Amino acid sequence: MTILGRADYGRGGESQEDNLDSASSGRHGTYGRYVLSRCLGALGSLAFMLVLSFFLFRVMPGDPARTLGRGRFTSPEQLEEFNRTYGLDQPMLQQFVTFLKNTLTGDLGISLRYRVPVSDLILDRMWPTILLVGTSTILAGVIGIWLGVRGAWERGGKFDRISTGGSLTLYSMPEWWLGLLFIAVFAVGWGPIPGLFPTGGLHSIDAEPGTISGVLDTMWHLFLPVLTLTLAYLADYALIMRSSLLDELGEDYLTTARAKGLRDVQVRNRHAVRNALLPATTVVALSLGFVVTGAITIETVFSIPGLGLLATEALSVPDYWVLQGTFLVATSAVILANLAANLAYGLLDPRVRT
Amino acid sequence: MVLPGALAAPSQAAEDDPVTFVVGLTNEVDSFNPFLGIEAASFEMWALTYDYLVGYTMKDMSPAPALATEWDTSDDGLTWTFTMRDDAMWSDGEPLTAADVAYTYGRILDGGPEAATWSSYLKGVESVEAPDATTVVLTLKKPNAVLPLLPIPIVPEHIWKDVSEKDIKSYAAEPTDGQPVVGSGPFRLVEGTAGGSTYKFEANPDYWGGAPHVDEVAFRVFKSADPAVQALIKGEIDFVDNLSALQVQSLEGEDGITATSGDSPGFDEIAFNTGSVDLETGEPMGDPNPAVLDPAFRFALNFAVDREQLLRTVYQGGGKTGTTIIPPAYPDYRLELDDPDAFAFDLDKAGQLLDEAGYTLGSDGKRTMPNGDPIGTLRLASRSDSETSPDVMQFFQEWLGELGIDAEVETYESSKLTSVILDGTFDAFEWGWYVEPDPDSMLDYLTCGQRGNWSDSWYCNEEYDALYEQQHVEMDDAARQDQVKQMQEILYRDAPYLVTAYSSVGQAFRSDRFACFQPQPDPGGVWLLQYGSQNYLNLRPAADAGDCDGIATAVGAVTGSGGSGGTSGGSSDDEGMSTGAMVGIGVLAGLAVVGGGIVLMRRRATVDDRE
Repeated sequence: MTILGRADYGRGGESQEDNLDSASSGRHGTYGRYVLSRCLGALGSLAFMLVLSFFLFRVMPGDPARTLGRGRFTSPEQLEEFNRTYGLDQPMLQQFVTFLKNTLTGDLGISLRYRVPVSDLILDRMWPTILLVGTSTILAGVIGIWLGVRGAWERGGKFDRISTGGSLTLYSMPEWWLGLLFIAVFAVGWGPIPGLFPTGGLHSIDAEPGTISGVLDTMWHLFLPVLTLTLAYLADYALIMRSSLLDELGEDYLTTARAKGLRDVQVRNRHAVRNALLPATTVVALSLGFVVTGAITIETVFSIPGLGLLATEALSVPDYWVLQGTFLVATSAVILANLAANLAYGLLDPRVRT
Repeated sequence: MVLPGALAAPSQAAEDDPVTFVVGLTNEVDSFNPFLGIEAASFEMWALTYDYLVGYTMKDMSPAPALATEWDTSDDGLTWTFTMRDDAMWSDGEPLTAADVAYTYGRILDGGPEAATWSSYLKGVESVEAPDATTVVLTLKKPNAVLPLLPIPIVPEHIWKDVSEKDIKSYAAEPTDGQPVVGSGPFRLVEGTAGGSTYKFEANPDYWGGAPHVDEVAFRVFKSADPAVQALIKGEIDFVDNLSALQVQSLEGEDGITATSGDSPGFDEIAFNTGSVDLETGEPMGDPNPAVLDPAFRFALNFAVDREQLLRTVYQGGGKTGTTIIPPAYPDYRLELDDPDAFAFDLDKAGQLLDEAGYTLGSDGKRTMPNGDPIGTLRLASRSDSETSPDVMQFFQEWLGELGIDAEVETYESSKLTSVILDGTFDAFEWGWYVEPDPDSMLDYLTCGQRGNWSDSWYCNEEYDALYEQQHVEMDDAARQDQVKQMQEILYRDAPYLVTAYSSVGQAFRSDRFACFQPQPDPGGVWLLQYGSQNYLNLRPAADAGDCDGIATAVGAVTGSGGSGGTSGGSSDDEGMSTGAMVGIGVLAGLAVVGGGIVLMRRRATVDDRE
């Protein structure tokens, strides 16, 4: 995180220098209009998603009352009663109007499967996902960028070959398989390796959340899943960073920097990396938007009750309100992350404001 | 949490530690509210928290005394009188009386979400009354032979009267403000939420059925079975459910673990579209192949299913070969045909029966319809979310091919298949049913009235329906059993279903720590997730197993030796916790060092910059 923050700042500083003459006057007016148009665009996308989220899941095959009730002795009247209770007997258009009204007032409906308000359910499931996927994305971003920088700087060297080969191998392994492997080796224990970590879950049964031991306990539980995801995500960032830094290596300004007498590390960190960071930053920022969609396979293997799993399990019912709710949360997060990235670009580079 | 004394493990010190029995579930609780939940795991939670008016025997799940110690039916079958025990208490100290039972059933009779879940069990019941504290009277419009099967958890009136009809559809019935849920069962829920990953129960020492032998029962939800198996091997959990036959085999060799494939009262079947119709107009609907509409054609295919091979290869030896829709767990109602070859794999016989029915082989080696038209290709639907379903249909396709009938296997999600079945756009599909301790519901699914509801084969036979109505009101057990067997004979002949296998459920537990699981049905059944909560009262630390209070069939009823392994039970959890804390501290320390290093390096770098 610190590296990214610093990089953005550095990048901004440099582009300001470059473009100082072209964008010195009338800056606020143009940027204000730019912000407005971007926000309106984001609002438009949100409204579209709101409509889509309703109809997308209604056209799916399946009848919740039947899926949930199979194997239970129920009469047609009982199925009707269920549909009446949860508003499924209303005409589609009526349901849509109710959905719009409720969603705009912050009511996401009641889950057909768990029979609790969807907003409670999403809040409950949100923080395990953010802890798991957010931590992994940031760790993978930081380590990946570092690997990419070192690899590109000493391209073809031993480090480059090992890190590129290693991260590609990890990238091509199925996440669930890597997860199961880690469980077998580091959770159960294999040969001389003791089973130090739990096989899954988010906390021990007698852990007290909110205390120091509770926090440590959750960290202990999340170690293996975060490790798995970090390793799986690593190649994304390492390879992008490596190739964009390679593009910079032949540039004249690096020769100038060397001619000034800067040390190799300074040339790398203060000039080459700063210019090469933008693509990797974009990927990390976008991935952060996708954090709330969760990591379904890892949530399954490590039994972590996250949003990804909530949405996939809701598909089989289909639990309309949970699907709509998770879809809305996920799309809003991506739209907001995009908006934030756009606004930041506009601030950093006036050329994109057209 | 981490007691130094636990390492020395003298047996007295161990008694001070709470004994926690941890169950790994692969099926989560959908609601702790007994009027809303549906999943098998939810039934288990209610069985721990609440009581039934009438319970189940371990032998064959027939009615057994629970809150009601005895019951009586009037001669016309229209009045049922239950006499209740007077020593049952709610966990908040209030007495549990007949009024609570009347209140619970009353809520269901009043309609609403409660009725959506339970009203079929009170079919024909007009009113329920509690004339005194220990008597419950059900008045019926029409006799109902299913009674006294009443799997409805009794809830406390003094708590639930505050839950309005409007609120109940999202009422969670979970612990609030640290207060356990008020129930009358052997345990009470102290922590947990539906869809959560752990649930914790504490023992009710004053339970009318005797105090449990463990202090706590905890459940951990696993999203897939493999990690649960690993957790059992490691000892993080003591019990795991829903294993495949292969997983059971792999666990059988592990030290300290006992595993079984227990009979579960359910079956899998290949079902046919016996005639989908538009229920309003009575016109045929969908596009079934005309061949599968013919009972003679379907009956011939009964001999084209190698049930032994399916059991061996597809089910990996777990379960039993299938015959009729009533599983072996319910011998009283089950039809046993005298002919030993009634379900034999015999392609010659199948071919001969097809020839007799007019489906003769054409010159191209394919069978034709009696009028000479080609049969075409039968569509065999399987479920993508089942491990066995596609394989069963692949085999069936091969056997049909050997008979000269073309078929193709289609794969659907279960929810999609449900709508395909309702549209009648299929020829055959593979699915299964779980059969309740009373056969009525299973028999009902094949009546004409269930078409468009739960009937998936669109089967309709007036003779069968007439027998169904008879048995539903027949109060004489022997006569009813006879009628139920006749119905199964009709099904054998008409073959809407070819029952392929009786399912089994793999379960395993740490036999070095716990003992005294009695199978249900006994023998050969499952150890937990049964009907009722009996085994949560039976189970105890392996060291204290003794003769399991004289339950001869209980697993782990030790005779003499075997105390040495048992004492480690309580302490290993504590070790696990302290390892956890240590690793957690280690990770934190590691992060601090790395973070500190980065800060130092950055400071050095900025110093360089400034110079």
